[in-house]
Amino acid sequence: MPIQINKGVIGKEYAPYVVTVERGKIKEFARAIGDLNPFYMDDGVGQASEWGDVIAPPTFATTFRDEAASEALLRDLGTDVSRLLHGEQEFELVRPIQPGQTYLCRTKVLDVYEKTGKSGAMAFVVRETTITDRGNEIVGTMRHITVVRL
Amino acid sequence: MKYARVYVEDVKVGDELPPLVKGPLQQIQLTRYAGASGDFNPIHQDAEFAKAAGMGGVFAHGMLSMGFVAQAVTDWAGAGRVRKIGVRFAALVRLNDTVTCRGRVVGTSQKDGVSLVELDIWAENQKGEKVVTGKATVDLASRLA
Repeated sequence: MPIQINKGVIGKEYAPYVVTVERGKIKEFARAIGDLNPFYMDDGVGQASEWGDVIAPPTFATTFRDEAASEALLRDLGTDVSRLLHGEQEFELVRPIQPGQTYLCRTKVLDVYEKTGKSGAMAFVVRETTITDRGNEIVGTMRHITVVRL
Repeated sequence: MKYARVYVEDVKVGDELPPLVKGPLQQIQLTRYAGASGDFNPIHQDAEFAKAAGMGGVFAHGMLSMGFVAQAVTDWAGAGRVRKIGVRFAALVRLNDTVTCRGRVVGTSQKDGVSLVELDIWAENQKGEKVVTGKATVDLASRLA
């Protein structure tokens, strides 16, 4: 059964959420990818580096998620996880994410548009998440395009 | 040499990154990535769920493939050098697929005294089909600095 997607979410901002990065989580993430770069894995290498500690891989901010906000977005759109595909993803990083740091994430829905392709009708949900540090400086930005199979 | 430092003077347009081969992909890696990333969509874990969703079986998180491509970039440019990385997920990656990540230098520029290198990046499966395509920008140190 095709579904209707609610475009009323365009422009909606979800409640900001705070993430404190755990050292072990960075290493777990790097291991899951199979990327054992010593700048992620070795505290000694991190301490001797220009960053003074280990850093996270470039895509680590994908772990910054708020379950309640994700569920609210799906409800707002009128869909569920079984229809989702990841369309595009972008990270812009001013500096690497580091352990022990606390970040504030703010997500906004920039656009929702529909297209019909080879595999049928799909909606594209464009979101942007801004990541700031405790000093309110921007550390990075994530842009996500989620595809909903209608 | 892995994790060698690349300097901007060593780089020219057309240079290719050393390919990074990942896989064959096993279910355990998808389970591990779910735990590490927090993306527990059962479509990556549960074959019955994925079939009922019309996907024919489980497939890898797009973000896992993006992690592979990002690794190809950082293996070459060094950790912490990525300023921007963006990809489109062009095709699904299935269990037992082998993913080869590649990149090519398409431009160099200077901004605020920093040397930036633009890359085309992509990943292909064992049939040579592109599964990820995108672009990255890295900042590289200068030998003159």
